[in-house]
Amino acid sequence: MSTLEAIDEYEALEQLHALGCTDGLPVVIPTPDRVARMVLATGLDADMSLGTMGPNQGDCTVEKLAAAAVMAGCQPDYAPVVLAAARAVMDPRFDLTEMQATTHAIAPLIIVNGPAREWCGIHGGFGALGPGYRANASIGRALRLAMINVGGGRSGTSDMALMGHPGKFTMCLAEDEANSPFAPMHTMLGHDADSSVVTVVGVDAPQSVICVTDADDPTTPDRMLWSLASALANVTTNNAALRRGQAAIALNPDHAAVFAEAGHDLASVRDGVFERAQVSGAELLKSAGVMGAVDPDRSYPCFEQPEDLLVFVAGGGGLYSVVFPSWCAGPHRNRAVTMPIEVGQACEIPAFVNLRSEHL
Amino acid sequence: MRDGIRIARRGVPSISLVTDEFWPQGDFVARSVGMPEAPRVRLPHPVAGTGVERMALVAGDLAAGIIDRFRG
Repeated sequence: MSTLEAIDEYEALEQLHALGCTDGLPVVIPTPDRVARMVLATGLDADMSLGTMGPNQGDCTVEKLAAAAVMAGCQPDYAPVVLAAARAVMDPRFDLTEMQATTHAIAPLIIVNGPAREWCGIHGGFGALGPGYRANASIGRALRLAMINVGGGRSGTSDMALMGHPGKFTMCLAEDEANSPFAPMHTMLGHDADSSVVTVVGVDAPQSVICVTDADDPTTPDRMLWSLASALANVTTNNAALRRGQAAIALNPDHAAVFAEAGHDLASVRDGVFERAQVSGAELLKSAGVMGAVDPDRSYPCFEQPEDLLVFVAGGGGLYSVVFPSWCAGPHRNRAVTMPIEVGQACEIPAFVNLRSEHL
Repeated sequence: MRDGIRIARRGVPSISLVTDEFWPQGDFVARSVGMPEAPRVRLPHPVAGTGVERMALVAGDLAAGIIDRFRG
């Protein structure tokens, strides 16, 4: 990895901005000492390759990723989460090269499950997508800076998003497992509840879905399913226009409680939204986004299978849950990828050991 | 650009059509995959969705040049 020289941190920052190495905001200068400490927190060798990051096909070494984490403002304790997120987006199923280059506005949403949420202080409650939470903000930003500096995704040259969205700076949260009435999302994906994993999915900006609940109205849960499905089946989303891909749904704890009271779990909410996320051929034909042959007399499912919907609990309790439609146009339809957070490697970091033992 | 390079790597002569807006991205992709000189022709932007008549005009302006590039 090349090294820059500067007389002070101010000049170093200006150099990094001038070289296009930032996301436009100030960064922490990745001095050799800071990067070395971040590398140490991974427990891996600095020159170990984690994979290839497109569209530049850059070799993502532990050291390069550590530099991105330093620049983003990560604590060394966050390193295992950043590492897992980077590995997830470099999985071919994620379609990172195509995702970075598309004109669509899409960004990685990092969802953290398991004890790592607490070790790192990753927030899943009110305002989880920010602003205000260091771990959330800096972990997502570290991935973005790696996608810029290793993957080469630079706006207008290789990242051709026509508008982009603020989630392209950072988009990371934890599932609010403590306030969820359900088993956490990662158990639906085949992981033990006490394991720590990240799930990363490329998504549009979050779309607010209003659901007014009424304990005296037994139809409320069903109407909530319709509202969530309608937001995803909006004829302007790629999921409706292309009729495929994945999407994420963040239920706020109040809405989750209403579903739980009605006997639902995350899987049945997922299945209920899937069944209702249909778009009519007539509506598609009225829209400007229609692609392919469409029969005006039938309805089309927006997703191919219930498992294409990721459902989890996050955010503050209230009227609004959130859906995240997706681009879904990559060769693998930009699949969500789940990756274990390897924390056992970091036992050399005293602070990390203390945090771990406290929460085990 | 990437499609053109993939086709070329299969041994089929190819020229990528790249519009003005995406010309820098074409350069980037060509460099990043190790074929900086991959042949490409510049089109006005946009072409997609501009209608048959307009697209025919663009094609008419460029076709001879594309054929010349294939002939070397």
